[in-house]
Amino acid sequence: MSATHEDNGWVDRLRDPTLQPQALEQLRDLLLRGLRRAFLSKASDDAFVEDVTQDALVRILDRLDQFEGRSRFSTWAMSVAVRLATSELRRKRTRDISLDGITDGNALRIEFADESTEQPSASAERNSLLSKLQELIDERLTDRQRWAIQALLNGVPIEEIARRTDSNPNAVYKLVHDARTRLKQGFEQAGYTADDLVGLSQ
Amino acid sequence: MPLTRQQIAMLMQLVAETTSDELDCSGCLDHLAEFAETHLAGQPLSDALEEVRTHLKNCHCCEHEFQSFLEALKGMSDDSQ
Ligand SMILES: [Zn+2]
Repeated sequence: MSATHEDNGWVDRLRDPTLQPQALEQLRDLLLRGLRRAFLSKASDDAFVEDVTQDALVRILDRLDQFEGRSRFSTWAMSVAVRLATSELRRKRTRDISLDGITDGNALRIEFADESTEQPSASAERNSLLSKLQELIDERLTDRQRWAIQALLNGVPIEEIARRTDSNPNAVYKLVHDARTRLKQGFEQAGYTADDLVGLSQ
Repeated sequence: MPLTRQQIAMLMQLVAETTSDELDCSGCLDHLAEFAETHLAGQPLSDALEEVRTHLKNCHCCEHEFQSFLEALKGMSDDSQ
């Protein structure tokens, strides 16, 4: 199927009551193939893929107006389906990760132990970078920021952090982005470059 | 629990790559279809898509979703030939 042929009239067909059933059937096939390839190996079964496909078709029909033609229709439709599948899998996976252990007092603590195996000079530079990091974390970040970053570093996705804090993913992303900006500015003021941060922290 | 060495490295990477005009996750995912096609075709990225690329570099969640999306697109085209 070529790109141009494939795009022929998806939106029109999905809007036309007489053509819609067949178009939906074709779209369903496409989404199922894609989702099976992407998700069947990742601890999900075919029932999961079929459910997500069904939900995706509903959402795609709902959002036909939002398709702006910046990509092929099938690519856009697949992006909607993958978004649903990813959210659903994250919800399943992170349901059991406890965030209870992360409290204001113990988020983002750095320990300066077990550096003895390194060369003394490298270790001293690293320690001074890490002391700066701890200082910036303590002085420039809010409790919410410390908590959110700790949760992210523990592998909790932004969506899940949002769900558990009655927030939304964008707000959490902004909260974290603001924290990163504060830390970066703090390091820049202390004379560190971006390369220093990555190089010395490895 | 103190941060592990790996977590410290992740945090520093995130801080180092922070830029002021980043897209948020929704903005990134809204452009993912267009970004994927451009990426797969090896075409140059527009400024808007360059922001998507930056976001993907900084956001594990979106990058992970992007990788699944690329797989799904492969699955879709493999079988339709
Ligand atoms: Zn993101």
